[in-house]
Amino acid sequence: MHTEHPIDELIRREKETEPNPYLAARVMAEIEGAKKMRSSAPLWQTLTLAASIAAVAFLGISIGNSYVENGAAAVALNINDRQIENLGYYNFGDHE
Amino acid sequence: MSDEQLIREITAGNDAAFKTLMERYQLQVFRTVMGFLHTKEDAEDVTQEVFIRIYQSLNTFQGGSEFSTWLYRITINMSLNFLRSNRKKRMLQSLEALFTLRSEEKNPLEELESAERDRRIRKAIDSLPERQRMAFILSRYQELPQKKIAAVMNRSEGAVEQLLQRAKENLQKKLSPTIGK
Repeated sequence: MHTEHPIDELIRREKETEPNPYLAARVMAEIEGAKKMRSSAPLWQTLTLAASIAAVAFLGISIGNSYVENGAAAVALNINDRQIENLGYYNFGDHE
Repeated sequence: MSDEQLIREITAGNDAAFKTLMERYQLQVFRTVMGFLHTKEDAEDVTQEVFIRIYQSLNTFQGGSEFSTWLYRITINMSLNFLRSNRKKRMLQSLEALFTLRSEEKNPLEELESAERDRRIRKAIDSLPERQRMAFILSRYQELPQKKIAAVMNRSEGAVEQLLQRAKENLQKKLSPTIGK
């Protein structure tokens, strides 16, 4: 097969490619970094969560306390639509 | 120290054992990834990700198959995932490589022809159906025996033989009009 040789040649060259000699060290550093992050996360997360809950509670209480009831008497909406629709019109005997 | 012993050490918290395990398999993983990606930088990145994944999920390894079989499966899956999520970037990279190749042994025309031939071969390998490509890469880049490939791919040896035969035929079909002349 004529195509076999160029394929073999390409595969040989790609197989000869060596990875970075520090690849293992890079992986170990990543793993160490992730471990440190994980071990330091719980305390940091707990504190942040507690602070957030306290802030929300404080904010809720403050907003609740700052509310002042409006003392003005309620104004009832009273629309007299007699002017618009003259109902008396239908009561006049002349129009019956 | 056997793989099983190393795994026991790692799960007990011995990171030095993991480094030993990684040094034992890093070249195999890197070569397999190279078969899928063809570029050193991407292959190094994926190899790194493979070992981080291995470290994180080593406690889920049941030992039902050989460690290397499990490792090859993870390597193949992560290489294919990388290919799916970086399709555009890789297309640009292959074009860039075509114009930046330098060799002292060849003249510019020969260089360009050789780069173009490589690009066609890589494209032909990459366009093989997924299972054929897996079998082809494990067989040619790793030189794994069919029995091992069958274990990695969870197929029978006969099925692997068929996949390899089809991969060979497909490559011949795709490449013979241009390269086989």
